[in-house]
Amino acid sequence: MASLVKPYFSMDTMRLGFPVNVLGQPGLKSHDTRRWRNHPHLSVSLAYLRDIFVYLHRQGIRMYRMASDLAPYVTHPDMPWFHSQIDECATELTVLGETVKSQRLRLSFHQSLSNVMNAQDEAIARNSAAQITAQARILESMGLGPEAVIVTHVGGVYGDRESALERFTEGYRRLPEFVRRRLALENDDRHFCVADIVHIHHETEVPLVFDYLHFLNHNAQGIPMMEALDLCLRSWPHGVKPKVHFSSPRTAMRVIEQTHSETSQKTRRLRAPRPIQHADFIDPFQFVSFVRAAKDRNLRAFDVMLEAKAKDLAVLHLRKQMARFAPETMSE
Amino acid sequence: MTAEDNDLAEDSPVLVAVMNNRRDFSIARDQGWYRIPRERAPSRIGADYLAFYQTKSFGEERWAIHYYGPIRHFRIAPRGDLLPEEPDHPRVDELYYKIEIGPLQHLPRPIPSRRLRRITFIPTTLDRLLHAEEINDLWIGGVVEERLWRAFKEHGIDAERNYPLREKDEAYQIDFAVLCRHGNVAILLEGEPSVENVHIIREQPRIEDYDLAAHGWTILRVPCSEIIDSLPGCLDSILTAMARHGAPSAHPQR
Repeated sequence: MASLVKPYFSMDTMRLGFPVNVLGQPGLKSHDTRRWRNHPHLSVSLAYLRDIFVYLHRQGIRMYRMASDLAPYVTHPDMPWFHSQIDECATELTVLGETVKSQRLRLSFHQSLSNVMNAQDEAIARNSAAQITAQARILESMGLGPEAVIVTHVGGVYGDRESALERFTEGYRRLPEFVRRRLALENDDRHFCVADIVHIHHETEVPLVFDYLHFLNHNAQGIPMMEALDLCLRSWPHGVKPKVHFSSPRTAMRVIEQTHSETSQKTRRLRAPRPIQHADFIDPFQFVSFVRAAKDRNLRAFDVMLEAKAKDLAVLHLRKQMARFAPETMSE
Repeated sequence: MTAEDNDLAEDSPVLVAVMNNRRDFSIARDQGWYRIPRERAPSRIGADYLAFYQTKSFGEERWAIHYYGPIRHFRIAPRGDLLPEEPDHPRVDELYYKIEIGPLQHLPRPIPSRRLRRITFIPTTLDRLLHAEEINDLWIGGVVEERLWRAFKEHGIDAERNYPLREKDEAYQIDFAVLCRHGNVAILLEGEPSVENVHIIREQPRIEDYDLAAHGWTILRVPCSEIIDSLPGCLDSILTAMARHGAPSAHPQR
């Protein structure tokens, strides 16, 4: 019954977002992708980002993940001339941050796969910390509140889980305080499940991002889903709305194109999907069940980053589907 | 450096901006920047290149795009900082985008506007900029819109894309306008979102909100499915409507 629905699970307050690329309007770029010799710059990325914000405003989308390379080459050890971009863009970041606040837009970063905080190779770990620090400085320069976070995974196992977890914790503690405040930790689909990141949370207080599909793929301790979700939601500081990642597993056939190295002949092979692959859109029935289960248990309110291959189109489509299949979520 | 000797993709975004006076052109050429008032900036400003559509102030170079340059930075600054020699300008304290560019380069061939129509900003790509025969080739439409545009060119139908109309503070666009001797034909594409059942908001207000018929336009609404399934039939309908209004007025307003 609509009257029993908690207001914070209405679509008015639960933001749905998408990562990086916009598909709904051709030609919108997520950041300056030019190679170093063509002088890419954060300020050009910010102009692209501003255009995306115009689009998000028009579509009523209030959650977005920025490209991890927003500031190109900003930590590249061999290109120091790129290192001062964030300082150079102080005004532009402040002005864009005002736009973000006026649109009540929740922004985030997500660490790319090449950034591994618990890497055994110290150079890789150091560069990962530098990347996270640069992203934290961007969020700080935009004047964004604590809900704007940088999401990362624990990293690799390297044959010794305990040491791998310990290295992450040590790396986390070495980060400057303003960077630690921005970091959030996500369960992954192979190595570190919700139980592992809860362990790290107890050591560090880092807030946890529950990833639905990763949880389905890797839940070594067999924790019931809503219990795992609750553990993650309760890890966030009071007054900061948690966020959750949601995607549906791909079920469609995959077409693999291969080019023979000697003959250049192209062949197409059909493959069944893998359970870790993201579907183009979100299964509305899965999503409604998930949201309703959380509501029934009176869990803390959260925002949802939809990790679907159709990006913003998936957000728009899910909103439409929610209105049809779960109309009680559309109003208080 | 030219587009050919760097590693930029042909789909690198380009912003075509209006250059309407010689002083601003000198600033772009000699000081390497162009300005856009932040409050009145178009919905798209991000680009790797900036190109200039030159207006009537430019003599033989008027009504065409001749130059473009790589974008280096986007700055935000009050107008007074950009143009300190104008301290009494009414917008002296307003924020502007200062687009800093590298050296201007000549296009292989200029891109003319065939008609005297209002040009503001056109987001396009480097590939289109380098190969366009005229302004209408620059606009990037959906798959169906592009198909219809190619058909128009093949059949010599002299249409204007994204033809602008303005009423009070609102700007409207006609997908394709054919300006004939005895009246104008508006061709409006219907049902062309990127994904048919996902609602995509259009760039401009709906043209339905502008009373085209009251302003003397003949309106042809063409479902995109018809263009896909029966392009020759669509072209026949358009040619019939054009015939009723006389042939297109070739470059009549210069």
